[in-house]
Amino acid sequence: MTRRVAGAGLGGRVRDMARISLFAALTAVGALIRLPLPPVPFTMQTLFVLLAGLLLGGKLGAASQLLYIAIGLAGVPVFAGGGGPQYVLTPGFGYLIGFAAAAYVAGRLAWRNPGTACPLRGLFVASLAGTATCYAIGAPYLWAVLRWIGGIPIPASQVLVRGLLVFVPWDLAKAGLAAWLAWEIDRRVRWAGAR
Amino acid sequence: MLRTVAIGQYVVGNSLLHRLDPRSKILAVLFLMVTLFVAKGWLAYLVLAGLVVLAYLLAGISPRYMWRALRPVLFILFFTVTINLLWTRGEVVWRFWRLAVTREGLHMAATMSTRLILLVTSAALLTLTTSPIALTDGLEHLLAPGKRIGIPSHELALMLTIALRFIPTLVDEADKIMKAQMARGADFAHGGLVQRARSLLPLLVPLFVSSFRRADELATAMEARCYRGGEGRTRLRELRYSVLDAAAGVVLAAVCGSVLWMRFGGPRG
Repeated sequence: MTRRVAGAGLGGRVRDMARISLFAALTAVGALIRLPLPPVPFTMQTLFVLLAGLLLGGKLGAASQLLYIAIGLAGVPVFAGGGGPQYVLTPGFGYLIGFAAAAYVAGRLAWRNPGTACPLRGLFVASLAGTATCYAIGAPYLWAVLRWIGGIPIPASQVLVRGLLVFVPWDLAKAGLAAWLAWEIDRRVRWAGAR
Repeated sequence: MLRTVAIGQYVVGNSLLHRLDPRSKILAVLFLMVTLFVAKGWLAYLVLAGLVVLAYLLAGISPRYMWRALRPVLFILFFTVTINLLWTRGEVVWRFWRLAVTREGLHMAATMSTRLILLVTSAALLTLTTSPIALTDGLEHLLAPGKRIGIPSHELALMLTIALRFIPTLVDEADKIMKAQMARGADFAHGGLVQRARSLLPLLVPLFVSSFRRADELATAMEARCYRGGEGRTRLRELRYSVLDAAAGVVLAAVCGSVLWMRFGGPRG
């Protein structure tokens, strides 16, 4: 992605804050809109996570995802199935934390060369790395919650299969879609003069 | 749906718990959850369960919400009970075919599930009695001392408020764009996978472009009104601790203190 011209002092800071907020809201909306795409009920949440990283860059993208988590924990039903502080105790919460890390990694990789647009292939690699990061945090969290909160000691290999491997083909497709959408959106955002 | 987004899980009311300062409620829930984690023994759980039930009664919140709060953890709760019940070794009390329920298993299943239920219901109580905006206010105050080590408490609270404000707007916008594109012949529901992925483009591009634009307009508007960060800002509703907070603190300290004493200080057993 192209690096925006850094706003001087507070000016750029306020704009960054506004963008973080809007992308947090967008991620929440992405979890709310359901498109009729069988067989898997398709929410655009993970797609929006990667897009936040790819379009905003590592730091702002991660911040927007952390903000999204904070909104959910404050009781606003923006997670798949609701919201509230009790979500910290669900086995899937690790994947939500993973979203922030995924946005960071994807953003850092996509914004490696300031001043030049990242090629489509680079965006795809960044999306894949982001997705992998999400699992690197989500799967151990799943194991830990089952082990210490549920009192269910299951072998790590089971977690690897059930919590990770079954999603791989689907995630490859999603990473490709994210890269392509980021490419198209970025082109048009620049064309519309929004940055 | 727009209404549920704006207030979240919050159940509007004016009970004792609703009137507590959000700061005390956040601290109380954190303290209660830590106590639940280290508590041990039947008496301790009984006392804590009594406290949680009492809190729900005081808040005037129906048990229906307790059930709703438990829904996301039902799955793990179910497995906790079955696996601990059937796979714990020990003195067998009941045998059916190859399944054996042991005394230790019964004990484990009961404590683990009680703890989980209490953890979840007490955490939910926070957002059931506190609106997201009040929570944000409380968090900003609690995190304020962290400013020195680089935690931007004011900015965090402001961004939370902005995001909350814009969720309904963006839902509306996504809906409008979808309808507009359908009116122009876009098809979101048919075709192969590639076709459908393609159909996302006319929805997401306008949505993201307009989000960028909204964000920049908002930043300009804030600067035009001389927004200069949290320094010296005043607020419409000041947070104030009251006698109520002190009373709640005393009750919580007494209950949790006795539970912790049972765990660490008291006679074993």
